[in-house]
Amino acid sequence: MDLVCLGLNYETAPVEVREHFSVPAERLGEKAKEISSLSDITESVVISTCNRTEIYVATEEAECGTKTLNEYLANEHDAVEMQHLYQKSGDEARMHLFRLVCGLDSMVLGETEIFGQVKQAYKQALESGSTKGLLNKLFQKSFTVGKKIRTNTRIQMGQTSVGSVAVDLAEKIFGKLDGSHVMVIGAGEMSRQVAQSMLSRGASNVTVTNRTNERAIELAEELGGEAVPFDAWENTLAAADVIVSSTGASEPVLTAAQIEAVRRKRKFRPLFLIDIAVPRDIEPAVGDIEEVYLYDIDKLQQLAKEARFSRAEQVRICEELIKEEL
Amino acid sequence: MEGFAMDKWTLLIAILLAAAAAVQGASYVRRGVRSPWTMAWMLLSFIAQLALLGMRGDLRGACPLGDTGEILIFSAWSLTMFYLLEGSVYRLSLLGVFTAPLVAFLLGLALIPGMMDPDPLRITHVDAWGEAHAAFSVLAYGALGLAAVTGVMFLLLNNRLKEGRMDNTLFKNLPPVRDLSRVVIRLLVLGFAILTLGLVCGLIMKTSGDVSKHLIVALCQWVAYAVLLIVEWRRGMPPRKLALAAVVLFVLSLLIFPLL
Repeated sequence: MDLVCLGLNYETAPVEVREHFSVPAERLGEKAKEISSLSDITESVVISTCNRTEIYVATEEAECGTKTLNEYLANEHDAVEMQHLYQKSGDEARMHLFRLVCGLDSMVLGETEIFGQVKQAYKQALESGSTKGLLNKLFQKSFTVGKKIRTNTRIQMGQTSVGSVAVDLAEKIFGKLDGSHVMVIGAGEMSRQVAQSMLSRGASNVTVTNRTNERAIELAEELGGEAVPFDAWENTLAAADVIVSSTGASEPVLTAAQIEAVRRKRKFRPLFLIDIAVPRDIEPAVGDIEEVYLYDIDKLQQLAKEARFSRAEQVRICEELIKEEL
Repeated sequence: MEGFAMDKWTLLIAILLAAAAAVQGASYVRRGVRSPWTMAWMLLSFIAQLALLGMRGDLRGACPLGDTGEILIFSAWSLTMFYLLEGSVYRLSLLGVFTAPLVAFLLGLALIPGMMDPDPLRITHVDAWGEAHAAFSVLAYGALGLAAVTGVMFLLLNNRLKEGRMDNTLFKNLPPVRDLSRVVIRLLVLGFAILTLGLVCGLIMKTSGDVSKHLIVALCQWVAYAVLLIVEWRRGMPPRKLALAAVVLFVLSLLIFPLL
């Protein structure tokens, strides 16, 4: 008995093609049953998520099974769409499924949602009676490998962009960002992105200040916050938990003396400062204040680089573990 | 002698269970994941410590706080109890991994020959205030000890954050600094409240009118914790200083009493 996998994903097909191949979550079992009733095919599992649609089949002979499956799909899709499909068989298909379940084939490397989605697809196929010995054994093995990878590696950890590193650091300082006050000094694109990341993780208050007040008002509206005039922003310093600064100023806009002046008023609460301006907006001496965590663009980029390196190393470890299981 | 042997075996089991929590927890941390077994190991160690204290209590016919070994075991038991309460309520990641070595260390000290009286005198007259004083004081040590453990966790993470080093698996698994800081304060308040009860019982127990060295040291310790908490409450203090103070005061408390 041979194993064949036919499918497409976000790397091989654009969304307008993927949506044509997509199968609704509640119909995965039905679709698998339909495919397993085709000639030459004895078992089938259909996986369909926003990023991929894949069909795994057990067939007496790989070549015949692939041909039947291609003909079946060609009935519903045109030749241009069919060009986006990839096909794998034997150990290559096995390896592909294991990588998929472990999140190594996902857009967000190491994400865990795919594990549940594959499990759900397999469950529906099993309940519809479209799986037997080969696919049952294969999928159960893939779940064991998936669990092993998550227990023994750090594939799902670490952020790889400057914005997400900043949010990770904020969560390491404050825990949940619910109710945190974010202050944006300078209405640049990078500050906007970082502030938006903070908001998406629960920060609720945003104050924006900029030399050009109109830009501050514009950004504050976009972020659902409040704009304050540039000559009055220091008054909000005591309330801030996170400050993102990216002005074009040639001299520091935030000094150690300014922070020292509000420490008592802040009751020494932690303060996370993100300085993404060049030249720097925040005096380096601010970082010496005990409850202040100061990160400039170089430090953030270095952390993002380390995370990317660590990810690559984890992928290598995962693939070795998968090969051992094959 | 048979009773002593049983004590010794139970103590050994309690040490091994706490050591297992520490070693296995640390190995999980190295792999970058949280150990699901730390709390189970610590619970088993807690049960062994409880059984041991029960045996010693039977031998003495009173609260088992008659020698240094028993005080160490009672302190470890109290520390474990507060960990189990705090850990299960607030799910503070890695608290067990940091607490387990201290518990194993305290229990290990109690195993040293001479620490535990092999044949303790059975107490005929029990002073209830004296018993309450000893029990509350040691319980307070548990809470203040856990505050110190959490303080160490804070200091480690704070140091990493200040230096911008995220590469470590310990960094990834430690709870946020704000949570750690809040737990330090909560445990200091709890420990201080219990310490106050112990001190009040001690003052009532004291009938001869003499001011002992023990009482002076106990009062100094109480005043030190009171000042720390009042400063934190009235004007606030940098979390790093608070954590450092929790660690230093606990270490000093541990060092001073055996010297008296």
